[in-house]
Amino acid sequence: MNEDDIATLRARDFWGALVLIGVSLFFLVRTFDIPLWGGNRAGVSGADWYNSAAIVPLGIFSAMLVLSVVLLIISVRAGGATRALSAVGIGWDRQEAIRFTTIGIILFFYIAGLVPRVDFIAGSGLLITALTFGFHRGLPRRMILAASAVALCGAYALIAHLPQAEWAAHDDDVVTLLAWATLTGLMLWRARDDRVLRVCPAIAVIAPTLLVCAMAFGFRQNVPNRGGIIFTQIEYHYYVTLRPIWRS
Amino acid sequence: MEFVLSQLTGFGGAFVALVTDPLTYAYLLVSVFLGITFGALPGLTATLAVTILTGFFGNKIPLDYSLIALLGAYVGAIYGGSYPSILLNIPGTAASAATAMDGYPLAKAGRGGEALGLTTTASFIGTLIGTIALLVFVWVLLLLSQNIASPEKALLALFGILLSGTLMSEDLVVKGWIAGLIGLAMAMVGLDPLLSEPRYTFGWSYMLSGFQVVPVLMGAFAIPQIIDGMRHMDVGKVAALKGRILPNLRTVRRHLPTITRSGVIGTGVGALPGVGEDVAGWVSYGVGKTVSNESDTFGKGSLDGLLCSETANNACIGGALIPLLVLGIPGSPPAAALMGAFKLNNIIPGPTIDPEIILRVVAIMVLASVTMFIMGIFTARIFIKILQIPQVVFLPIVMVLTTIGSFSVGGGINDLYLMLGVGFVAYFLNMLKFPIAPLVIGVILGGLFDETFRRSLLISGGDLMVFASRPVAGILLLLNLILISSQLPFIRRGFRRLRGRV
Repeated sequence: MNEDDIATLRARDFWGALVLIGVSLFFLVRTFDIPLWGGNRAGVSGADWYNSAAIVPLGIFSAMLVLSVVLLIISVRAGGATRALSAVGIGWDRQEAIRFTTIGIILFFYIAGLVPRVDFIAGSGLLITALTFGFHRGLPRRMILAASAVALCGAYALIAHLPQAEWAAHDDDVVTLLAWATLTGLMLWRARDDRVLRVCPAIAVIAPTLLVCAMAFGFRQNVPNRGGIIFTQIEYHYYVTLRPIWRS
Repeated sequence: MEFVLSQLTGFGGAFVALVTDPLTYAYLLVSVFLGITFGALPGLTATLAVTILTGFFGNKIPLDYSLIALLGAYVGAIYGGSYPSILLNIPGTAASAATAMDGYPLAKAGRGGEALGLTTTASFIGTLIGTIALLVFVWVLLLLSQNIASPEKALLALFGILLSGTLMSEDLVVKGWIAGLIGLAMAMVGLDPLLSEPRYTFGWSYMLSGFQVVPVLMGAFAIPQIIDGMRHMDVGKVAALKGRILPNLRTVRRHLPTITRSGVIGTGVGALPGVGEDVAGWVSYGVGKTVSNESDTFGKGSLDGLLCSETANNACIGGALIPLLVLGIPGSPPAAALMGAFKLNNIIPGPTIDPEIILRVVAIMVLASVTMFIMGIFTARIFIKILQIPQVVFLPIVMVLTTIGSFSVGGGINDLYLMLGVGFVAYFLNMLKFPIAPLVIGVILGGLFDETFRRSLLISGGDLMVFASRPVAGILLLLNLILISSQLPFIRRGFRRLRGRV
């Protein structure tokens, strides 16, 4: 690391130490909710301090508070506070911010919106296409476009079918499939000469299909959204069309 | 003598059972191939390989096959890191960072084939040295560990967290310790192990069972790798592979002292709780540079330098399994992931482990190292082709693998939310140069530390002297204190002054 990197790191340490001090204090206060001196819960008496469930967490959060203060002192002494509070900031440029934010959006909407509610093959196909197309050449416009596609489908699934009772609905599957097809079409049109992007549609179809089938039929495990629009068809034909062939 | 014979017989039995089962080969071939691929692709690590396969195979197939898959991937990935180190000057894994120092200059000088062949041989011998040490020392330590009670276990868990925090910190040691404390704090969530008192659940019933190991592992190791990997997508120019890969026996014999020494160092470093293959590689490289006759060529394409790190990082695997199997304390981050697989199968590594499992682990390690050697020698060119595929193709698949693996282990969406939350926290900690391995080791050892610490106090009636009055506990307490005080500024200044005078 060069001197500038270290200076940036100390500025980040300054903010990091402040967050850690806040977190330590918050949890220290919460720790005192746990009976420490002779509490009684569910008929079990915690008569002595050394028997308390709070004793180890107290030690952990106290130590964390002390170490966070040490980190704060180190960063302030190294000029981290001055740099952190100045316009120089924590060393992130616009490109970096866009990249992280778009990846964050894609992952958030994939896990929170798509995986529970949308067909796993469709959701994962969209994710693979979005990540590959959006981040292959590092172009910010593509990143934003890819993140928007995933965010649109994820947000629709979240808003339209928030409670678990509605996770089997298929309209969000259709929206995702449409977004996936549009993104794939755009990718193939924009990047006809790129070998990586040309193989992406095949990977986006094969990888999640193989994984979900291996998990469901090979390992006999539960898979996300069994009632998804594509997976129900695969499951139906596995049990009704294919399995009887070797069973008989 | 009788004991040794019975162990050898047991090992022979486990080995024959494995060799005669055709499924063994299927799992070995696939897992070692996947392991080498993960190791060879910069940005994907050995820990990630073992973590993802834990989600995929952990509790879905019989334990024996699951161990074959995980150990095969572990051995393969540590070895696979040498490919980009030699051909790209980019370490595939942190464990191969020292390999790049001499590997790349050798490849540039047209000796890439020779370097890869020797690396493969050294990795193979290194793995075997670590495995033999595992077979020998694990029994000695298991006998000794029968006398280890709660105070010693608590101090040992603390020592593991502190040591990994100290040695794995890239920046300040205090950050490693904070990471370990964050892990410990995460382990406190849920019902406490003695009184079943709910802690930090905030009324969410899911949190009563605490942070599950696999989603935490996936979140801590996979998500930051994926986010970080998307930032560095393009592979550099791969150096041309010239020369034959099959190693020259005379050259191997000439470097045998270096290989043996590095194997012993790697095993020793691996046996330290919480310290991984990357530390083993650098320590061995440092020692090699000090004692080698050709130390002036180190860093300029020395075969000795190349073999130092490559032997040590593979030998470290066997070493890292010693504390895992004997004490239930993982010796390295991939061993921590392996511990997750043991937990999924309701096996508690430590003094109470079934000795049969240890013999099977040793037999699997021997077979995995042989598979790695054969694959490394005869299919190296396939991995070089894989090396040219950009990460942007692999990382989205890794994300899908991580998701379905984590979901199927817990069978719930909550595990995925936990994984994502831990992943983002781990990414920011990474960005601030906090090491992640101590955090994961803290999560894994937190329950053990909490239970044994309080049990010790309960037995002694709150007398803290229980941690000093027993001989082994006293030594461990002293080690912990030395470790902490060695980082205090005035003591460090004193040491520097003393070194200056000497």
